[in-house]
Amino acid sequence: MDRVEKLAEQIFEDYKDYGVDRREIVEKLKKLLIEFRVPENEALRTIRNYIIREYGAPATIRREKITKIEEIKEPNKWVTVKAKVIQLWESSSPSIAQVGLIGDETGYIRFLVWTKAKKPPVEEGKSYIFRNVVVDDFGGVLRLNVTKISEIEEIDEDIKVKPPEDVSEEVEVVGALVAIQQNSGLIQRCSVEGCNRVIKMGKCPEHGKTKPKDDLRIKGVLDDGYRTYEVIINEEGVKALTGIDLEKAKKIAEETLDRNAVLIELKKMLLGKYLRVVGTATPRYLIARHVEFFKPDIRKEIEKVRALLEEV
Amino acid sequence: MTTVFLKREVARRVFAKELMSSTYTIRDESEKSPLYVLTPLGLKCNRVFIIGVLTEKEERGEDGNIYRIRVIDQTGSFIGYVGKYQPEAYEALEDIDTLTLVALTAKVRVFEGETGKFVTLRPETISIADPESRDYWVMETAVQSLERIREMKKGESETAKLAMEVYNTDLEEYKRVVKEAVERVMEDYGEFDVEEEMLEEEEEEEELELNEDEDLSFEEEEIDLTELLKD
Ligand SMILES: [Zn+2]
Repeated sequence: MDRVEKLAEQIFEDYKDYGVDRREIVEKLKKLLIEFRVPENEALRTIRNYIIREYGAPATIRREKITKIEEIKEPNKWVTVKAKVIQLWESSSPSIAQVGLIGDETGYIRFLVWTKAKKPPVEEGKSYIFRNVVVDDFGGVLRLNVTKISEIEEIDEDIKVKPPEDVSEEVEVVGALVAIQQNSGLIQRCSVEGCNRVIKMGKCPEHGKTKPKDDLRIKGVLDDGYRTYEVIINEEGVKALTGIDLEKAKKIAEETLDRNAVLIELKKMLLGKYLRVVGTATPRYLIARHVEFFKPDIRKEIEKVRALLEEV
Repeated sequence: MTTVFLKREVARRVFAKELMSSTYTIRDESEKSPLYVLTPLGLKCNRVFIIGVLTEKEERGEDGNIYRIRVIDQTGSFIGYVGKYQPEAYEALEDIDTLTLVALTAKVRVFEGETGKFVTLRPETISIADPESRDYWVMETAVQSLERIREMKKGESETAKLAMEVYNTDLEEYKRVVKEAVERVMEDYGEFDVEEEMLEEEEEEEELELNEDEDLSFEEEEIDLTELLKD
C-alpha cells in the first residue's frame, strides 16, 4: 500500500459509518498531496473538514488505542484492552465483584472488577472492550483493575484467544515454601469416572455425595522474594521430599485417628524450606513435575553479590 | 469456580538493620490496600521471610499466652510477638528452644509507642532451619538489598524518592552493612582471608550492638500487646 492509500485508509476507518466513499478520499488526497504538494497534516485536515461538512460527521472521532495483552508489562498504567473472558473465579472478598482471567490473541491477564465500580457483570466466553482499566502488581502478578471510571462494553466480535497450551510454560523456580493451605495432606477425591475433584465437607462440588478415594498432595505458596507461586505438589513429589507416600499417610491417620495429623507432619517438615520446583506454570498454578530441597551453590551466590557490590 | 489468593503479598527478603530502622507507613492508591512499611531502602513490604537465630522467647501477656521473640541475623535483631491467634506459629514455637536457627514468615506491624514508631513481626509460620538455608537466605537478601540500593541511587521510582525524603538514607552505610553480612558467611566458604578487615569488622560489630541497644530502648515501654495481634 502506498502512502496515499494508507492515509486514505485511516480516514476511511474513522468515518466509514457516515457513508463516505473510499475512492473519493483517495482521489482528493492524491490531488492535494501530489498535484498541489501541500503538507500531509494540512491535506488530512482539509479532507476531514470536507467530510464533516458534507456527511455531517462529528468533529471529533474517538480513536482509541487498544493495548494488546502481551504489551502489558508494568503496573500503574491505564490501558484499554479488547478481550474475551476466559474464566471467572470465586471472589473471596465482598469488595471485589468479579475476578478471573481474560485473554486476547496475544496472551492472558488476571482482571478484577471492584464492587464500588458498580459495573454490570461480565460473562465467561463473551468478548468486551475494557476501557480505562489500571494495571497493578499483586504478588508479582499483573492484574487489570476495573474501577469506577472504567468502562466495559460488550462486543459482537468473537476474539480468538491464544490456545491454552501456549500459555502454560515449563519453568524452574527456587523459593521458600511460606504457606501450606488447609486442603493439603491426606485429602479425598470424587471417584466418579473422570471427575477427580477434591471433596469438601463430604461432597463433590459436581456430584454431591460419592464414594471418596484418598490422595496425598500439597497446595502451598512458593515465594522467592519477588513474587509468589501457588504450587501444587502431587503424591510423588510429597514422597520425594518427605518419604511419606499415600500408604504411609493413611497409616499416620489411622494410628492418630486424625487425618489432619498428616498435614501437621508435612507442615513441620516443609514450611520455611527452600524448594526447587520444575513444572508447568499455568496462569494460576505452578504444577510441580519434579520437586526437591534446594541445594544452594553458595560460592555462585557470593559471586552474584560481589558483582552487585561492584556495580552499586 | 475456584477460590483465589487475592491478597497474597510477597514475603520480602530484608535484613534486620533495614527493616527495624523503618518508621514510615504507606498505602497504595488502590482501594483496600494493606498498610505497608516503607524501609530506608525504599522497599514497601508487609510480609517478610527471615532465617536467623532465635535468641529470646519470653511469655508475655496477661495469661502468658503471647510469646515475645527475638531473632537475630547478620545485621541486627527482629522482635516478634506470637499469640494464640496464630495457632500454627504458636504451637510450632512451643517446641523450639532458643539458640536454634529458625525460618519464619511474618506479617510486618508498626507499633506507635511513646518514643516513636517501631516495627514488630507477627509470625505466620516458624520452623527449624539449617545452616545451608541460612547462608542462602543471607545471599538472596544481600542481592535484593543491593538491588534496592541501586534503585535508591538511580532515584527514579516513587518509593525510592519517598524513602530518601523520609530517611535521608546513608546508602554507603547500608552497602557496608550488606557487605559485612555477606563476609560473615563467606568465612565458612574460605572466601575470606584479609586479616586486617577481620579486625575492623570486630570493632564495627561492637559499635553496631551499642547502637542497637539504644534503638531498642522502646522494649521497656508498656505496650498493649493485643493490638499487635489484630489483622
Ligand atoms: Zn465428582
